[in-house]
Parts: sequence; C-alpha cells; structure tokens
Amino acid sequence: MAPRSLLDVDDLNPDELVGVLDRAVSFRDALPPRDLLAGVPVLNLFFEASTRTATSFTLAEQRVGADIISFAPGASSLGKGETIADTALTLRGIGVRVIVVRHPESGFARRLADAFDGHVVNAGDGTHAHPTQALLDLMTLRQEFGRFAGLRVAIVGDILHSRVARSNIVGMRALGIDVTLAGPATLLPDAFAVDGVRIARDLDALLPQLDAVMMLRIQRERISGGLLPSLEDYTQRYQLNRARLRALPHGAVILHPGPYNRGVELTDEVLDDPRSRYVAQVHNGVFVRMSVLDFLVNNAPVPA
Amino acid sequence: MRTLVSGGRVVDPLQGLDANRDVLIENGFVVQIAEHIDAGDARVVDASGAIVAPGFIDMHVHLREPGQTHKETIATGSAAAVAGGFTAIACMPNTDPALDSAAIVSEVVRRAEHAALARVYPIGAITKGRAGHELAPYHLLADAGCVAFSDDGSTPRDARVLRNAARYAADLPHCFISHCEDPDLKGDAVMNEGAASMRLGLEGSPGLAEDVIVARDLLIAADTGKVWHIAHVSTANALELIRWARSRGVNVSCEVTPHHLAFLDDRFEDYHADTKVNPPLRGSHDRDALRAAVRDGTIDALATDHAPHLLEEKAQLLSAAPVGFSGLEIALGAYALAVQELPLERVVTLLSVKPARILGIPGGTLSLGSCGDVTVFADRAWTVDARLFHSKGKNTPFDGMVLPRRAVATIVAGAVVFEHGRTLPGEEVHA
Repeated sequence: MAPRSLLDVDDLNPDELVGVLDRAVSFRDALPPRDLLAGVPVLNLFFEASTRTATSFTLAEQRVGADIISFAPGASSLGKGETIADTALTLRGIGVRVIVVRHPESGFARRLADAFDGHVVNAGDGTHAHPTQALLDLMTLRQEFGRFAGLRVAIVGDILHSRVARSNIVGMRALGIDVTLAGPATLLPDAFAVDGVRIARDLDALLPQLDAVMMLRIQRERISGGLLPSLEDYTQRYQLNRARLRALPHGAVILHPGPYNRGVELTDEVLDDPRSRYVAQVHNGVFVRMSVLDFLVNNAPVPA
Repeated sequence: MRTLVSGGRVVDPLQGLDANRDVLIENGFVVQIAEHIDAGDARVVDASGAIVAPGFIDMHVHLREPGQTHKETIATGSAAAVAGGFTAIACMPNTDPALDSAAIVSEVVRRAEHAALARVYPIGAITKGRAGHELAPYHLLADAGCVAFSDDGSTPRDARVLRNAARYAADLPHCFISHCEDPDLKGDAVMNEGAASMRLGLEGSPGLAEDVIVARDLLIAADTGKVWHIAHVSTANALELIRWARSRGVNVSCEVTPHHLAFLDDRFEDYHADTKVNPPLRGSHDRDALRAAVRDGTIDALATDHAPHLLEEKAQLLSAAPVGFSGLEIALGAYALAVQELPLERVVTLLSVKPARILGIPGGTLSLGSCGDVTVFADRAWTVDARLFHSKGKNTPFDGMVLPRRAVATIVAGAVVFEHGRTLPGEEVHA
C-alpha cells in the first residue's frame, strides 16, 4: 500500500482532519520535542516562488527535527512530463521520504505522488489545491468559534484561479460549514454551485449573515485577461472596506490567505480591524504543518 | 484471384439485403451473391456465425506520415485499420508538411499502395500549411487523390478566407470538413468546462467553443453552396444547429467518435492525459444527445479520429501531453458498447454506406460489380489490450474494457488482409 500523502483536504477523513487540528493546537500550546521526524529526509521542492508557505514549512520541519533539503528548480527545468517517474525514483533512491511540493500546474502533486514511494505534501498545485492553507484556516475558525457545524462562511473574489478557495470549499463542506462564494461570474462561474455550495453576486446583502469572510487576492492580470474591466469596477462591488465592515457582524472574523493587495480586495481599515485574523492564520500555519508531517509519517493509518 | 465469403449473414442496406448469403469476389469486384456458391478453388473466408457487410470506412484518421512517423506510419496505420475491420480510411492533412500539395498527396497514395492493406484516401488542406491564410490548390489536390478538404484541428480563424475557399472549390464535389473549436474560447483548455474542471482547477473549453464555429461554418456552407461535413460532433447544440441547417437546405453531414459516445468529462481525477482530446469529452447531457442522434439518423457516420501518440508523450503533464489516442482497433466494439441494440442496417449505414457517399469513394454496397471490400464482424466479447495494437499509438481510454463486437476478417478488393487476428499484408509491416 502506498504511503499516505496530503494532496487535498479530503485525503483526510473528518475524524483525521479534526485529529490533525487537535494535534496542531497541542503543538501551539507547547512545542513538542524536536524529534518527531528525527532523521527523516524531507525535500522542499518549490517550482513556484513562495515566501510564506516555504518559510512556514521549513520552520515546521525544523521543529519536528527532519533532515531538510530545499530545492527550487524553476518550473521549466524538471517535472515536465516523462521525467516525473524518473525524478520520483531518483529522489526515493537518494533516500527522500517526504516531498513538500509546489508547482504551477494543477495536478502535479497527484502525478508526483502516484510515482513516488513516499509521502507527498501538496504545498499548492496550480489552481487546484492548497490543503495546508485550508487546514490553518479551519484551525483559525475553530480557535474563534469552537465548532464548525453551521458556521456561515463566505469566500470572496477570484474563486476560479484560487487553490485556497478550492481546498477550503472541500474542507469546510466536509465539516458542515455553510459556504457561500461571492464574486463576478468571470471569476466565479455558476458551475461552482455544487455540493451545497451557494453563489452570491451581492456582497452587501451577504455580509450581515456571516460568521467569517475570507477575502482572496485580486491580480491585475485579470484586467488584461479580459475578466475584469477595472479594479475600480471590481472594488465597487466586492472590496471589503470601511462601509462594508459596518455590515459585518461584531462577532465575525476576517480571513485572508495573503499576500493581500491593500486598496484592492480590502482597504487598510480591514487589516486594522479587530476582527482581522491574518496574523493568527500565519501563526497557526506552522503548527498545522508540523501536525501534518507528524500525522503522515508517524500516525496515519494505512488503508487496507 | 477469387475469394468466397461463405456462410455469413449479409447486411447490405443499399440492396435491402439482410440474409444468409455467400459472396464471391473475383478480380477485385463482387461477381455473385447467392445462398450457396460452389467456388471451386477460391480462397474461402468462413463467415459462419458472423455478419458480412460492405467494407467499413473510417473517414477520420491521423496517419502521422510524413513528419511524425515515430507516432504512426501509413503502413502501421493501415494495419491498425484492417485489424479493426476497416477496408478504407481517410487521413487528415495535419502531417508535417501538411497535405497541401499534389506532390505530398501523391507520395501518401504511393506509400499506401505499397503497404497493400487498407485503401487510404487523403484529405487535403483547405489552406496552405493549414495556416488559415492562403488557399490550397484544390483541383491539383483532387487530381492527386484527395477526397475532401479540411484544415483539421486548425479551423480557419478568418471567416473571409474560409468563405473564399468554399467559393473557389464550389465546382468540386469534395466536401469541406470542419473541426469546430473556436481557439479563443478554447484557450489552453485541457478538458471540458464544467463542474469537474472547476473542482479540479483545470482550464475547461466550453461547448460554446464548438457551437459558434459549427454555426459559422454552416452559414458559410449556406452562403457558398459548398457541401459540408462536421467532424466529431460533441455537443447537443451542434446537433441542433445541423438539423436547423438541413431544414434550410444546406447539404451537411456529420460524424461522431466512439469516445464521445462512450465517456464523460469525469476521467481527469488522476490528472493523466489518457482522455485529453479535441473536442473534449463532455457531460451527460451532450453525450446522451449524441447517442440519440446516432439512433435518429442526425449522425451520418461513425469515425474514430484515430490519433496515435507514444505512451511517453501521453504520460507528460496534462498541459504538455498531446491530444487524442488510438481508435481504429477498438472502434467496432466501442460503438456497439456505447450505442447498444442499434439495428445492423443502421450500423452498416453509419460505417460504410454514408462514409462512401460523403467522400464519393467506392464501396458502401456489395451489389454485383461493386468493389470487393468486405468487413466480416461478430458479436463476440473481447478484452482490449492496447499493447497488442498494430498501431504505434498504444493508448486508448478503452484499454482493459470488455467490448461486445470485433472484426473477424477484412477483405480489400478481394484480398484477405486480416483474418484470425493477424494482418496479412503484401509487404511486411512493423507494428
């Protein structure tokens, strides 16, 4: 049986998911001895630039005592096609047991995991999935509310191009969270309205009903790509700003996967708002990643 | 040379014939059909328990020669054709160089004759280099052996060019074949646009990309009077547009592939390019409409879009992997699996009568004096093993599946070129 990997949140069943979060919380409360992955070679393979995720993973790996190898091959030099299997074989031969991988193409982590006799942790593949980000978001929500079932959460912005949104949709639905997606149809096609997920085109009507709102980054390429007319037109409808903060309930929280664009999907007031949880999110990220590594290497039951 | 096809159930819609008959072919032509023929020293093909039909024609095949002979050659593609029960194939012009000059077309014809298996009919390009700008020399291409014209996967973006091409070639009976995908709407898509592509984070091509080009080309057909054929229809809307055009008097035919009839856009969970194809596999609404259109006669022809690639090419990442897969050697079984209980008269019409008529080539009947091309097939279950293909393209989404029908023997101009699971070429063929 192949070693367990984390390619998206649904590689964990709901019990496992909660277990990974529980253990992340325990790590946050008190750091474990630095020997959970003592002597386990972990390769960080980032084909795409990353600051926060790569840093967070590296720190998590250090805190569990792994042997860390970091390699940024650039998207074009490796992994293009027929070399996936050869690359996986080579890395396993060297002794790598865990690969943390980020790649600009959706599905790369899956293709690597299918070829690699070891654990693969998806640190972001194209527009598909970013499971550890979703786990840290879920950890932050539970920290706030103590529960998942029945929470009303909106994800706002460029859903089409967001692996963070996709992984959060999967994880939130598995835990009984009521998910609404909001954005213009070019960035949020109707086809996302499946599995109980709702779509809203009116953020103002949505905000008063929410426990949490997650604001996604809007990239300027969406204008040259013909998907948005202008940032002004977008922000008029979907920016979280001073006026919309008033519509958001007092007990609600604001999430952002970062990096944010001040003045686009949100304004400075949002980051200063006491409901903003950006710092808690990135803080939780390290513990979630420690917990994921510990679970995959040490604790994960292998399916029969 | 005399060949007797003995003891089979002959299904020949043009003669209104569906009965047990012997068929005698002499010097390449059908000379006798009777309940029992005593043909002396003729080569006998035992068709007892099988169905005997006028030779099947696959009007949409990619043979890769010249230019990409690592993927397929005229010889290996012809071997795959006869192994799949096809006596004739029409090959698309997306070779390198493209089939846009009489010299290249003549060379394809010569190599096909050398292979001495299936009849190979080249389809010439509509524009030079299939680049969409300058008109190809239609009359010279026709003289060299082309039976139709198409720019295949590179549908001319410029409607003015396509209109002028259709007007210039209007005096030829050869149809224009459209591969309908708007390149802008399609973008860099690797699959159908829908809930699956959204969930998987893959770029999808909407059915709209096909529909707008079908509509455009049908209107150009109406405007120019050119006979038209729509390749591999994949959407319900395209079928509706074709019906509408026919109601307005446009002379248009269309085809559908085994994979669009059999599969849905739900096969990308492993991010493998096994089912990456143009146009993409669609959702159930479109797939069901295609099946219904085969039954109701909206679809004229079944065609494989046989598009061989090496396994290692298909094993690349989705974005880099080429589109298409082998089709010739699974086709008969795949059609029978996807559209079950289709009357044999319809099967033969879709695979022989109509393709012969659309392309204006011999065949489509076993009436006296017609060409001695015969497909003998049987409803016997078999398991696909793509490694055994004669084609160099050893990948198909049907691999490992049990199919309910297969070719038993293939006869071209009276010569038995496939029987007992083996091709019997005039020259040795390296599969």
